Amino acid sequence: MTASAIVTTVIFWLIFIGALGWCFSRFGKAGKWED
Amino acid sequence: MAEVMRERWLRPRHFIFAAIGSAIGLGNVWRFPYLTYEYGGAAFLIAWIIGLIVLGVPWMMMEFGMGRHFQRGAPGVFAGIGKKWEWVGWWPVFAAFLIVTYYTVVMAWCLHYVGGAASMAWGVGKAGATATGDYFFGEVLQLSSGPGVLGPPVWAIVGLLALTWLIVYLIIHRGAPVIGRVSQWVMCIAWAFLLIIFVRGVTLVGAAEGLNFYLAPDFGVLLGGGIWFAALSQIAFTLSLGMAGMFAYGSFIARKGDIANSASITSFTNCATSFFAGFAIFSTVGFLMASMGIGIEEVALSGLGLAFVAYPSMVSMLPVAQGFFGAIFFLMFWLLAISSAYFLAYGGVVIPLMHKFGWSRVKTAIIVCVVCFVIGILYTTQGGLYWLDIVDRTVAFYVLLLSGVLAAIVVGWVYGADKLREHINETSDFKVGKWFDWIIKIVLPVGLLFVVIYGGFMKDIAAPYEGYPLWAASMIWVILIVTLGLSFFLQSRKTRGSMVGSGKEEKGVSEK
Repeated sequence: MTASAIVTTVIFWLIFIGALGWCFSRFGKAGKWED
Repeated sequence: MAEVMRERWLRPRHFIFAAIGSAIGLGNVWRFPYLTYEYGGAAFLIAWIIGLIVLGVPWMMMEFGMGRHFQRGAPGVFAGIGKKWEWVGWWPVFAAFLIVTYYTVVMAWCLHYVGGAASMAWGVGKAGATATGDYFFGEVLQLSSGPGVLGPPVWAIVGLLALTWLIVYLIIHRGAPVIGRVSQWVMCIAWAFLLIIFVRGVTLVGAAEGLNFYLAPDFGVLLGGGIWFAALSQIAFTLSLGMAGMFAYGSFIARKGDIANSASITSFTNCATSFFAGFAIFSTVGFLMASMGIGIEEVALSGLGLAFVAYPSMVSMLPVAQGFFGAIFFLMFWLLAISSAYFLAYGGVVIPLMHKFGWSRVKTAIIVCVVCFVIGILYTTQGGLYWLDIVDRTVAFYVLLLSGVLAAIVVGWVYGADKLREHINETSDFKVGKWFDWIIKIVLPVGLLFVVIYGGFMKDIAAPYEGYPLWAASMIWVILIVTLGLSFFLQSRKTRGSMVGSGKEEKGVSEK
């Protein structure tokens, strides 16, 4: 793979992992899932 | 009135998996990787991420939030805002209804290919790899010369379509609790299959070359309008918004359940799956180019061609276990599609009809499944592919986008984006700021209008869609007008169920 393709891969996986990590770290903090 | 609890997801994870399953579908695998390659690799990813954050996540929060607040599907939500707006909720119901009629036909093709892969019916080696087009269009579809030549149905596909609808019925006839449980398994197995295909792909000769085509950046394209149309349209299509179903899925959330975080998790997981699928697809494209000695311009990279022609060609060129990888690929496709199919059928169509007419879930599910199956037979005829394409253009493009524009305007300006934001913030794991109001009121409708005008009206008015005869291409406008008229008609009908539901008076009360 070219260097630019590798950089693209790394950056966008970091974005997805970071975003989902941030969301899951807050999951269940406020919302209550039973009526 | 009923005395039992409202329909609910049994566990938070059931909702998350069901929502993710509804969002992830065929387009994640057969559309997104091609768009990334076509529009400058990393440059497209930047535009797409911006579209996801600016349009996708707020739009999903809106549908979940409104559904949860009014405790109804799309028509009930808009009837709750004001009776005269009910039609805004019915129009996307027709989108869901018509999309699922042909989506299940594509699933029937996948099942056909699972059987075909077991015996490598299209052949192995170079002979097989060059015969996949004839196999798909000639043997499987028995494609006619044009939309005016329907011919008889292909009965093998009709049988597999019936099987698909039977499975959809079995999943939806008991409602959200079963849908949630099934979605966990469906998505985990589909991801496992995608992982197998990824590992096989990246370990093949030529994989790196294929991935270079997928990811190589060309930032110059960011200055053109095409990339923004492609990115925003992909975001609009990939999240299964504008198809009514997410309002219903939102209505199954507990009254104090989270909205903002769930919408974010669903959206980002959907897009991460797309990005991952691109590696699986383009690594195999690189292998096909290397093994066949062909250029990328000779490989079908998008849509039906990628799934049913290029991928089987790659399977034919594998040194071992061709049938296994072919079957895994099409089973994965079928699994990705079924979670979207039952979402469209149940959230998109069954729930609105139950609430409007007061029918039982079982009765409504039977009616919807049988009617959709019968309509689906049209697409199993020898000219069915042409009609599938025309109906897809109408409902999965025009109706989806235009109903999204209308929904954003009515929610943002009539109901009040600030009220929605406050409702979301009451129970969500994180708060959304005032920026949300302006996205719903301005950015979302303008962004969707840009897509529908730039990529739709400007092209389809200038020349018949895809070069079809004028009478066939004109069906786009006929279907558009008829579905809009039917939406007003349904609004005018007396509501026999519990169409409008919001607030505390219904706490703990629901329909069976």
